[in-house]
Amino acid sequence: MRQVAVIGSGQTRHARCRDDVSQAELVREAAAAALADAGLRPADVDAVLLSNMELFEGRAFPELWVGEGAFACGKPCMKIATGGTSGTSTCIAAFHQVASGMFDTVLVVGFEKHSEGHTQTGMALTDPFWDRAVASGALGNFALSISEYMAERGVTERQAALVAVKARRNAAQNPHAHLQMPELTVDEVLASRMLAHPVRLLDMCPQSDGACAIVVASGDRARRLCPRPAWVRATATRHEQPTLGDIDRRLCSMRTLRDAAHAVYAAAGITEPLAELDVAEIYEPVTYAELAWYEALGFCRDGEAGRLIEDGVTTMDGTLPVNPSGGVLSSNPVGASGVIRVAEAALQIHGRGGSRQVEGARLALATGYGVYAWADAIVLGAES
Amino acid sequence: MIREGSIHLPFAYAAGPAASRFLVSLRDEGRILGSPCPACRRVLCPARSFCPRCGDETGEPISVGPAGTVVSFTAQAGGVVFGLVRLDGADTAMLHRLLGDGMRWTIGARVRPRLAARRQASITDIEGFEPLQEPGDGT
Amino acid sequence: MSERIVALHTMDLTWRYASGEAMERFCAALCERRIEALQCDGCGRRYLPPRPMCGNCRLRLSRWVPVADEGTLVAWTVVHVPILDGRTGELRPAPYGMGLIRLDGADTTLNHFLAEANPARLALGLRVRAVWRPDLRGAMDDILHFEVLP
Repeated sequence: MRQVAVIGSGQTRHARCRDDVSQAELVREAAAAALADAGLRPADVDAVLLSNMELFEGRAFPELWVGEGAFACGKPCMKIATGGTSGTSTCIAAFHQVASGMFDTVLVVGFEKHSEGHTQTGMALTDPFWDRAVASGALGNFALSISEYMAERGVTERQAALVAVKARRNAAQNPHAHLQMPELTVDEVLASRMLAHPVRLLDMCPQSDGACAIVVASGDRARRLCPRPAWVRATATRHEQPTLGDIDRRLCSMRTLRDAAHAVYAAAGITEPLAELDVAEIYEPVTYAELAWYEALGFCRDGEAGRLIEDGVTTMDGTLPVNPSGGVLSSNPVGASGVIRVAEAALQIHGRGGSRQVEGARLALATGYGVYAWADAIVLGAES
Repeated sequence: MIREGSIHLPFAYAAGPAASRFLVSLRDEGRILGSPCPACRRVLCPARSFCPRCGDETGEPISVGPAGTVVSFTAQAGGVVFGLVRLDGADTAMLHRLLGDGMRWTIGARVRPRLAARRQASITDIEGFEPLQEPGDGT
Repeated sequence: MSERIVALHTMDLTWRYASGEAMERFCAALCERRIEALQCDGCGRRYLPPRPMCGNCRLRLSRWVPVADEGTLVAWTVVHVPILDGRTGELRPAPYGMGLIRLDGADTTLNHFLAEANPARLALGLRVRAVWRPDLRGAMDDILHFEVLP
């Protein structure tokens, strides 16, 4: 397989409502920014991959309507949808296309306009014979799993609130981020409205309109075009049984993410992720999930995630900064969110993170999470 | 075993600046706007903010039509006829209804828009396209 | 920017789902207030909802086993915000209790409503029992909710 790198990225301003642009125009905003960042013209792109959860906007074949905004006319173009992992899965597909030698340059664009439709629909239309009558969305799923996780691992509401504060303070350094709450405190998180016990408003991600694009290139092109390519060191994606009750203690076990992380660490020669990784951009739709992911990703042993956040290990000046971008907790245009993880991880390797740059970042992890049924892990590095 | 059901869901789609301008101009002035592409020189109708083929941002929108030419058409069961109409001054065709009971439509027929009396910035502010002259008159 | 046009559409989506053989038998049993699971001959897991194959062992399932309408609460929450009901598109009134319940005789858990919506009275490990509606129709909402046993 050939070497592959991320050589550029572009994002829109993410916001609750971007009714100043159409879907195609939103996509174009990110696509044009990514091409400019990589120093390429539309004609230089060989293929386009899109990521979006079409049911959220109630628009069939979004790739048909927004492809032209991604400069896809006359080129191979298709879409991937796997829930929250859509973006990371689409990036991985692009890596494979370039690694295989099929294409030299692929543009990935993820987008979502939650303001245009019913995000809850996607989570409400579960098995019509089994749990559609009771399904309570991503929020209900998480809240149930969190009760098991808290009981088993001893995590507290205050520790979860620390995650919320870290995310929103980091987001204040990210001009693209939807939520801008630089002064947020733990007490404010704990005083925010209860959504589904024990998940409070500020524990949860927002619903955002936004798009993000990355440019993926083969080794030769990357070396020629980019002073510091973000080399794809390893990727893994895992699927799981569908029904909420199929897996015991989903948040505790998180077999998908655990397996995917194990696979990319092995492939990239990482034995101590906390010490060896310089930065991580992980898909954390709720504060408690970030704590569970610390354990699944091997940043600490099971049961130690609460201590990790209390000790500031994952803050910007900690051993392993997690989500300098502010994460999904600060911006969540679902189809774009996975692409944002990869774009932000790549930005750190490029050394162009601006005020959210982790000094000297050379090894980065990006992850995706999709409805408990999918997990993706990607390691990017400064060295090929 | 079969289970049937239905769900009702509201959606709100933003038109964006170019299509908004197209719809507002249609509503307020009864004018149809197209967007010129600076690269390929085509005029795209309805107006849009970028050229799908070239990727370039389009220039200031211009009036096209109102008369146009039927590029293709299909008659549905029940008498509804849909056609692609290329308006004079535009290089792309737009999909709309062709109006006129019992018309024998032909490719190349000349048409003009019939505007709704009460317009609300929707593509249906054009009720459809009707013949400029009756068919068989040599058009 | 000048006037922003937003097009409003309400979509009416209709569907017609086929249950498949396993779910058909399961729903027929619900009409008799019985719950049945399918057990995997490979790993021994007793699956609810019943399904044609075990996703882990990739074996076809055909061994039906009875499951009680009583079980243990393994996860719970109280939902305070209205959530879209996937059967109608309407918002479901809140608050309401919700749990993951391991019915006696099953290995997977079932998510369903709880009669109790006071967090102070909910805990992992509580014993719960199904409250059935009088007019059974062969659907999961034949169970109205689960009540906490003393």
